[in-house]
Amino acid sequence: MSDIKRSVSLYSYQDEYYLGKLDLEGCLRETAATGATGVELLAEQMIKQFPLPIETEEFRNQWFDWMKKYNLTPSCYDAFLENHIYDNRTLTLKEQVKMMERDLRLASLLGFPVIRTLVSTPMDVIEGSLEYAEKVGVKIGLEVHAPFSLNSGWADGYMEMINRTGTKFFGFIPDMGIFCKNIPDVVRDKAIRHGAKEECIKIVDDAYANRVAKGFTKIKYDLNLGKANMEYRMANGMAEMMDAVKAAGGGPADLDYAGSSFTYSWSEPQDIIDNIDYIFHTHAKFYNVHEDLVETAVAIPEVVEAFKKAGYTGFLSSEYEGGEHLRMDLDVDSIEQVRRHQAALAKAIGE
Amino acid sequence: MAGRPIYNPASFKNVSVDGNVIGFSFEFKAQYYRSFTLSILRDIQLKVDGEDVKREDICITVNGDTFTLEECRTVVDPEYRWEFGEYATVTVKKEGGLSKGEHTIEGKQIIAPSYMPFQIEAPCNITFTI
Repeated sequence: MSDIKRSVSLYSYQDEYYLGKLDLEGCLRETAATGATGVELLAEQMIKQFPLPIETEEFRNQWFDWMKKYNLTPSCYDAFLENHIYDNRTLTLKEQVKMMERDLRLASLLGFPVIRTLVSTPMDVIEGSLEYAEKVGVKIGLEVHAPFSLNSGWADGYMEMINRTGTKFFGFIPDMGIFCKNIPDVVRDKAIRHGAKEECIKIVDDAYANRVAKGFTKIKYDLNLGKANMEYRMANGMAEMMDAVKAAGGGPADLDYAGSSFTYSWSEPQDIIDNIDYIFHTHAKFYNVHEDLVETAVAIPEVVEAFKKAGYTGFLSSEYEGGEHLRMDLDVDSIEQVRRHQAALAKAIGE
Repeated sequence: MAGRPIYNPASFKNVSVDGNVIGFSFEFKAQYYRSFTLSILRDIQLKVDGEDVKREDICITVNGDTFTLEECRTVVDPEYRWEFGEYATVTVKKEGGLSKGEHTIEGKQIIAPSYMPFQIEAPCNITFTI
């Protein structure tokens, strides 16, 4: 019996929310209907006039009433450190630490034990917020999202900080998009709808399969994310692949498909086991789960097996990201997708 | 089945001040997944019936108050966030407004979330009737 818990990130329901089909309570109701017990929130997505309502007792009472009504537990609060809120300067370290502390405080007011921070958050901002995180009892989790990965030069930079400070309030939130065995089918289907050629699709799919087979060259630690990302792409054969697509007569849809293939990556699930002491929440990213509960890109059974083996007791939080490949031309049914994904997780966990 | 709507189809209209038509307005939703302060709205670019609109002729109204794109650079109050899933009103200065009948907009929303290494440019194209 595993102690892995299931959660839903309300990010998943963004298409229904955008259309006004679901409001915040509606998203919570749908989350509960999937059998998940945890809820992950992007306050800036579904709480209007952020952060004002969270400062009011009225809203907080409403929030906790909903948690009780739907039998849900707050799992993770997704923070966005808007350190370029002005276009003419970057916020100072002090301003950024204050912003991080604001998010830690808001998360604690709503009962979240963890906040998600993004890879763009400077190390000294994280370090400068650790004391406050401990004070309010909220951990800071750095999202490990493709092209980043655990067990990499990039992650080593953070491990050094953990070891040096001895903090228990910082760790990693892996995004399961780092465990993609192939490019999601919804991305391929979109490319085909927009006129991509079969030959070019094959070049890109073969190049991806080749990267998976021989192992991705990992990204380095560099505060200049654009530069680090470009080096990573080149080291993983982007130039050669792009040349091959162009030589095959690839147009915009082909080149778009080729470029987007770098949004996905494959890490060994062993990375989870190696880093389990520093993982306290997980984004269970997915793109398209079919009726038979098979996800098209993320290797759910293998990855969940690694979490089980590692003795993980945190949440796997469904994060549906297939909608962005459909919404330009087709309807999106996030509710059904999340339902299927939760069923796939439950099956893999062995509930 | 069609793509998700960006514009409010009922919102296109000419705008009058003191009996003079000074331009036209419409409502659209931000093509992003969370709300943001207007300070990170770096641009709205519009081509109306194939003609570029000047940046200084575009205003945006959120929660009852109106800002030029230049003014947006300093707007960080939570009450003026462009909420996810909510329309903002765009007003375009154009003496005499638009003629009755069909028109096209080729638009772009450009926003700069801090964590992204590049700006997000969302195309927003539509054919509409005044």
